[in-house]
Amino acid sequence: MSALTQAQPVPAALSQSRAAGTGEPDLWCTYAAMRTLAWLGRTAEAEDAEATARYLRSRRNSDGGYAWSAGMPSDAWATFYCTQALADLGRPLPEPDGTAQWLRGTWTADGTGAAYAMAPGQAPDVWATHFSTRSTVRICGDGVPDRARLLAWLGALQRPDGGLSWSPDSRTSDVRACHYGAAAWFALNGVAPVDPPWDVAALTRWLCEQQTPEGGFRFSPEADVPCMWATYRATAALNILGASPSRPVEPWIRELRGASGAFVRWQGYEVEDVWASFCAVGALQAVGAPTADVADAVVARISALRCAGGGYTYREPEHAADALSTAAAVLADGTEPPGARESSGSPEPSVRADRITWLESCQLPNEGGLMYMPARGSEIRCTLWGLTAGAFAGEAAQPARRRIAEWVRGIQNPDGGFGFWEGRGSELLSTAAAVGVVRHLGAAVPELLDAAALRAFVSRCLGPDECTAALPGTEPTLRQGLQAQRIRHALGEGSPHAVTSLLDRHRVRGGGWANTGARLPDLLSTYEAVATADLYGLPLDAEHLRRFTDRVHSDGGTAWSPLAPGSGGPLADALGSLLRRRVDGALRALPDLALS
Amino acid sequence: MSNRTIPAYDETLSRVREVLGELLGDGPKSAGEDQPLTEALGDRYDSLAALECVSRVENAFGIEVDFVAHDVRYSFATLRRIAEFVRGELEDRAVLENRA
Repeated sequence: MSALTQAQPVPAALSQSRAAGTGEPDLWCTYAAMRTLAWLGRTAEAEDAEATARYLRSRRNSDGGYAWSAGMPSDAWATFYCTQALADLGRPLPEPDGTAQWLRGTWTADGTGAAYAMAPGQAPDVWATHFSTRSTVRICGDGVPDRARLLAWLGALQRPDGGLSWSPDSRTSDVRACHYGAAAWFALNGVAPVDPPWDVAALTRWLCEQQTPEGGFRFSPEADVPCMWATYRATAALNILGASPSRPVEPWIRELRGASGAFVRWQGYEVEDVWASFCAVGALQAVGAPTADVADAVVARISALRCAGGGYTYREPEHAADALSTAAAVLADGTEPPGARESSGSPEPSVRADRITWLESCQLPNEGGLMYMPARGSEIRCTLWGLTAGAFAGEAAQPARRRIAEWVRGIQNPDGGFGFWEGRGSELLSTAAAVGVVRHLGAAVPELLDAAALRAFVSRCLGPDECTAALPGTEPTLRQGLQAQRIRHALGEGSPHAVTSLLDRHRVRGGGWANTGARLPDLLSTYEAVATADLYGLPLDAEHLRRFTDRVHSDGGTAWSPLAPGSGGPLADALGSLLRRRVDGALRALPDLALS
Repeated sequence: MSNRTIPAYDETLSRVREVLGELLGDGPKSAGEDQPLTEALGDRYDSLAALECVSRVENAFGIEVDFVAHDVRYSFATLRRIAEFVRGELEDRAVLENRA
């Protein structure tokens, strides 16, 4: 039994729990499924490939980039996964010049060179730089704007211990950063040969030091246990650098095959998910081990994870719960107050308690936050939604809460802000969510976080009048302004005048608030408007709010805006339910939630 | 009474086709009056496109749409409903001007 098994046993009943999911494909899982089939030379066996290609193309925005889900802004993460998966399917990119142009718009200098940011206006990080360098060079056939400056930026990632970090100012070495840095260099080297910009001996030595006696790899010396994710990234990085692990890794990987022959993430975990097979096949290939003997089982398993209408999720679609949907289901159910859970010995635990237990199972070793889907990295928004839904509410959960606090403290970026997860560039949404997490934990922001750096980040985003906020070079919006003001409040410097001014500027005459201008109100903006006003103790115009909630609510659920069709799904239903309870007086204040 | 003339239904419909065609190509010109635009235009008529259509109709006819008070999803679902909505707004405006 591996250390990971011992550290994180998962109750078998949870895999069939009443946690909630969308039943829809997930972009990362779709990419992982296609990449795994491509590694195995079996992409031609993907069922209904045209539907999957249609799903991927539907993420393309008019600016040329791709988004995590329809309607969201483009980012490098989604652009890489969509374009690479389309390429693996042998499908042409729609208007690749537009995608290349969008990628060029994320090119950013930071004083140590220049690299790519996840979205325009953000600081560059190694996640985005890896995604966009590969997308630009290999998919779009374009060149990076300044190869020499990019190599300098990549070189500045190396820490004194030999490992690579997320950005030149970050202080944590991580095998994921090592792989992303190495893969970005490898893409450049494929265009024109160039030496790696690091002390390669020190880098490979640091990577080899992350292998544990069991044979798997850990993220860094701070990580508790080895995992398949770290093992793939480490072995792939070593392979790119022309090196190998010090000890055999193949037996450790092969031990983690489940009943079907596909891979599990650790022994005792019954779900053979797309994540485990992606990492296992990638790692086997990286160390030169054969994969033919596992290919049939992996291909069959991936086929079972296909969603109707195209795309894939991480396990059987009917069981593919996620943290946001599950938290939303709890929040939409206003029949029990948070904390009113039955004891664990109850013979018939309620659906609500079951869902909260599932949310708590999304906290895995190595990263203290909650994941979106099992085995992904911990994410700020999911952690905020999970805590708000009641996860880790009891006294017995103090150790778990301390882990979350340490995780939040550890992922604050050098510029003072936060990104979606560890190492990603800062933006206001995630920074406000991080502050919301700290507030939930009952901690004071200045005690847990670097308050001076946080203040500096918000100041860079706020306009001179304190009433507008945006990342540098982007248009200010209501939600960014409200997020900045919620952070200001946590720093003890909130301005009710600035909040009132923002709300007045975006108040829609007929009801609700608009993110831009004062024309089309939307659910997210209206929710954040009321939640921020509640935080500041500003009075609520209930009739103004009711006009909006009446328009977007129907028996089928809550729509994202008066223009959007029907229900917006579980997240919209949760926000709509909370807003209606607020306007009816059942809630005195809205919980601090942010989504996009 | 106001001197402002309310265009006939056919004239309004024709102008709506023209205005939407500037944004969405030939689709609005060939769509049936009662055919759902989501059916006639497919994915092209998503909520963002609908928002842009509302703006163009507002500018073309000099009316203002209230996204909350008006049931925009219903009113902008077919060409006939858009044309009837526009005529209704123009008639309301004429009445108000007459009162003033």
